[in-house]
Amino acid sequence: MWCKLKVQCELCPKKCLIGPGQSGECRVRINIDGVLRTVVYGYPCSIHVDPVEKKPLFHFLPGSRILSMATVGCNLHCKNCQNWEISQANPEDSTAFPCSPQRLIALTKEANCPSLAYTYTDPIIYYEYTYDSAKLAKQAGIRNVLVTAGYINEEPWRRLLQYVDAANIDLKALSDEFYRDVCSGTLKPVQKALIIAKASGVLVEVTNLIIPTLNDKPEQIRDLCQWVKANLGGETPLHFSRFFPRYKMRHLPPTSLKTLDLAREIAMEEGLQYVYIGNILSKEGQNTYCPGCKKLLIERTGYTILQSQIKGGKCPDCDKEIYGIWQ
Amino acid sequence: MTRRTFIKKVLKTSSVILGYMVWLGGKVLPRKFVKAVPGKKYPGRVEHLRSFTEQSEWSG
Repeated sequence: MWCKLKVQCELCPKKCLIGPGQSGECRVRINIDGVLRTVVYGYPCSIHVDPVEKKPLFHFLPGSRILSMATVGCNLHCKNCQNWEISQANPEDSTAFPCSPQRLIALTKEANCPSLAYTYTDPIIYYEYTYDSAKLAKQAGIRNVLVTAGYINEEPWRRLLQYVDAANIDLKALSDEFYRDVCSGTLKPVQKALIIAKASGVLVEVTNLIIPTLNDKPEQIRDLCQWVKANLGGETPLHFSRFFPRYKMRHLPPTSLKTLDLAREIAMEEGLQYVYIGNILSKEGQNTYCPGCKKLLIERTGYTILQSQIKGGKCPDCDKEIYGIWQ
Repeated sequence: MTRRTFIKKVLKTSSVILGYMVWLGGKVLPRKFVKAVPGKKYPGRVEHLRSFTEQSEWSG
């Protein structure tokens, strides 16, 4: 009986070696009798309808609403996690709703949403549920969006991406030390996931949460922007997000608007065309401008679109193609 | 014992040991999975979904 009872999960770079009755670091993939089981399949802890701008996605069907769901668990353990109550929860301590992939698609249609987001925690840890739902959604003409830290191995990532239309992927810092100390992860797999997603034709937007004293130095921000431009292209939207003291990082202050503005300035100096500021009200930092003629294309306040000038994915003045999925 | 018999014996014994090691390795090494099988039962509390159309309090 002692033989073959340990299993190894090869979904993410952690490659957890899981003993009988134990779970991987994500808490939701469990070794039951020598078989790896996902206990959250069909059991989301959260289903809501959000504005797509909240993901944040600014270049994907602006102004539309998106059915958004998550199960508990996460393969990273960021000390600053904003959603730690669900991401760091054990399934046995949580409440979930029975919802098959078919029902998820039905709910998306019922809410009149053109797209479905796998978000809040990390869709990678409920991979099979995400995969089956995304496949069904695609067949039903519903678009799929991932909001993820991108901490996944190459083979399952590529397999999932064939059904994904857009993704907001965190690049938490361009530092392996940061990933190890703050998130209990590593940098390289995330860089690889970003490059693969972009090369697969998925609309990729990147989020960088700026945490005072940890990743807010101008040179750190510049390095990150240079990497994004060189590896994902200058057209990739980059969101600098404001940090709020949460979970195990309550001792640090929120990020100042000055730091966020400076980050945006640096990113634009480095040649990134669409740079945004999030989690804070900022006039210019929420709008989309044409990189060709600088015309204001989309004016936003919070998650609301005040005006949109993009016609057929192009600037109406200079005809420049604007990166995104617009209809 | 001739040299030939001795070499034969050594070869036979080592192949038996090698075969056993391979068999043991297969038993002891963990089975590798990328995809997991859906669990039979949710380990936490299960409730019916009531309202889902409002905006979430969660980030993302």
